Amino acid sequence: MEESVAEPKSLTILIADDSDTDRLILAVLVRRLGHRVFEAKNGQEAVQLFQHCEPDIVLLDALMPVMDGMEAARQIKILAGERMVPLIFLTSLSEAEELAKCLDAGGDDFLTKPYNRVILEAKINAFNRMRLMHQALSSQRDLIRERNEQLVTEQEIAKRVFDNVAHTGCLDAFNIRHHASPLALFNGDVLFAAPFPAGGMLVFIGDFTGHGLPAAIGAMPLAEIFYGMVSKGFKGADVLREFNQKLKKILPPGMFCCGGMIETEFKHNQLQVWNGGLPDGWLVRTSGELEVVPSRHLPLGILPSDQFDDGMDTLATEPGDRLLMLTDGFLESRNAEGQLFGDSGIRRALESRAGTQHPFDAVMEAVGHFSASAADTDDLTMCSVEMVDEVGISTIHDRIEPSPLPGPMEWHCEYEIRERTLGDFSPLPLLLHICMEVPGLRRKSGEIYTLLAELYSNALEHGVLELPSHWKQSADGFDQYYEERRRRLSRVEGHFIRFSLSHSMTPSGGRLRIVCEDSGSGFDFHNHPILESELRPGRAGRYAGRGLLLLKRLAESVTFHQQGNQVEIIFDWEVAGTSSNPASSHRQ
Amino acid sequence: MTEQPHLDGEALAELQDVMEDEFDVLMRTFLYDSRERIASLKQAVSEQDAEALAHAAHSFKGSCINIGAPLLGELCRTAENAGKEQRLEKVPAIIDAIEKEFRNVADLLEKLMVR
Amino acid sequence: MPIQTRRGEDSQTLIISIVGRFDFSTHQAFRDAYEHGDESIRYYIVDLSDTTYLDSSALGMLLLLRDYAGGDGAQISIENCNNDVRRILSISNFEQLFAIR
Repeated sequence: MEESVAEPKSLTILIADDSDTDRLILAVLVRRLGHRVFEAKNGQEAVQLFQHCEPDIVLLDALMPVMDGMEAARQIKILAGERMVPLIFLTSLSEAEELAKCLDAGGDDFLTKPYNRVILEAKINAFNRMRLMHQALSSQRDLIRERNEQLVTEQEIAKRVFDNVAHTGCLDAFNIRHHASPLALFNGDVLFAAPFPAGGMLVFIGDFTGHGLPAAIGAMPLAEIFYGMVSKGFKGADVLREFNQKLKKILPPGMFCCGGMIETEFKHNQLQVWNGGLPDGWLVRTSGELEVVPSRHLPLGILPSDQFDDGMDTLATEPGDRLLMLTDGFLESRNAEGQLFGDSGIRRALESRAGTQHPFDAVMEAVGHFSASAADTDDLTMCSVEMVDEVGISTIHDRIEPSPLPGPMEWHCEYEIRERTLGDFSPLPLLLHICMEVPGLRRKSGEIYTLLAELYSNALEHGVLELPSHWKQSADGFDQYYEERRRRLSRVEGHFIRFSLSHSMTPSGGRLRIVCEDSGSGFDFHNHPILESELRPGRAGRYAGRGLLLLKRLAESVTFHQQGNQVEIIFDWEVAGTSSNPASSHRQ
Repeated sequence: MTEQPHLDGEALAELQDVMEDEFDVLMRTFLYDSRERIASLKQAVSEQDAEALAHAAHSFKGSCINIGAPLLGELCRTAENAGKEQRLEKVPAIIDAIEKEFRNVADLLEKLMVR
Repeated sequence: MPIQTRRGEDSQTLIISIVGRFDFSTHQAFRDAYEHGDESIRYYIVDLSDTTYLDSSALGMLLLLRDYAGGDGAQISIENCNNDVRRILSISNFEQLFAIR
């Protein structure tokens, strides 16, 4: 506002009075105060003049011919709209009832006869101050409204940009339920889900400290990292390490991101979970039994990489088990009495739900009933991941667009990892990345990854570490297996796993040849039941029946060399449109 | 009737001060206005229109108060009340009193202007 | 004042007490509490005996204090938390960064 509230500048004042004497006195008084005066002889003239001269203040006689002051006041207030135009009634009325009528009609004050110069001046100044204050407030309100509209528009644009980076991944998969406000990004909440190339999926739920732009800005790199790494086959722990390092680097010291990473391995019926700073996660068994998955780590973006713990907890599951993770908005929901929903609210909702009700719905419903205002749920993010049969999940695909660039067709490479590296590095993302340079192989990424992963885990676990696969068939053995695996990984001196990959063109597409050799002692592949006869799951051997079966289904051929420690796989692909999956259709 | 003076000297002095050159105009306006008002009062009585009477008396009263003619204002108030109460039978006498008082006021004001 | 500071008896310890809510509204006051301390301060005690509530922005402020006091070498203890406050600190595993008593 440019106008000074203290010293009123010249105002425009409309005076309406049918008495020439009174109007003359008032007009002179007002002019002497330095204001501009317009005069009307009745209510109708006053209304017409009001539109024409846009006065700052109106002085209005109550009783006038043609149109009286009350009616003129009503019409003037309507014409003024949002503008505040103080309306002062000129009156010698003294009855309370009559005075009240003037106020009802929109009058703001009275000026009684005989007119007093000092009181008139004080009233004009007082109402001018009020008018200016109203103007200031209105223009500030308009400014805020305008800024807010601008902010909302900007947020929508930012959200679209973010969605292009983050897309929805596989959040719409049938085994995932989630709740997030459309503008969750600006509450600092993020939710990502993507399938691994070789089955299983990775889900991340995060909650940045703070709100608005600062909170949203960290979400962008996380989305890039998440979707980029998962599509290349990196696992949850790798992604977490990368998240932490990135956030540590970009966020100021007081900012961080609480997060939960859920990695499902449908094939092995297990979940890997990492919780850093989120409220307890809840594993809801098909039996209804509840298991708490507490936060065991600092949030992301606090610790330097060398102190960061990416260790995920392994939970053995069954199909139908569901894991729920949520942000602290749930715990902080308050009811009308100001009580918190809290962990106990979640537990009550899960324990008291009807057998058929999805735990996700139970919690949403409970918090909905509990919280005092509906707006509360804007700040809540929750997701539930259900363990399913692996077969059912094969329909889930990520939305990665193929690159239109031509890639290498004729090439060969060897990659060998040795010694301690065997224990703490997975070569799979790198190898998959090399294969994905061939455009024709890109839409086969899941199959290639599976082939590489099967070869690698067999070479490592059975070749190098010589772990018997039949241990994994019982619950006790399962633990024993992984315990032993950890122990033996620390003693891999002199061992190696070598991949040789070559690719060449064929008339109808291309052929990828993968040879995986390990330093282990091999096995008697000549007498392996699956290798010599029909495709039927076999007894324990160096290769678990399922793994080998999978290789043979996916590949054109599987051949063992040397003493069984070298496997050669041929994978053919055809230019899109000829035949979709020759390998499996031939063999079935 | 109360002991109101014909003119409120203090109020008039203030008006003179405020109006400066326009004081004479104001006086003439008041005198002209008042004759019109008195005519309106008489017409209302002849038409037995109590509401019009109250209305005209009310406006006249306001001007009288503003100009500093309290006795005339008081007479107008009596007429206004009579109109509001629909007791028109007393009004001709009141109007006579108003006319008489107006002549007093007018004489005094004419003198003020000449001065 | 929601935030009060005093010097410990050893004169090397700064004790910062937060009364009421420890959230974004105390951001500036909390910073002022330690940033204008003199060089001789080596230990920090954040006294939460009268703190009724603590949110994630308070966690951020504690991290800022830790950073200011030397990061991994900072000697900060958080004392006298009520159950709600302690729960929030432990969900975030802040005991890994601060001595919580």
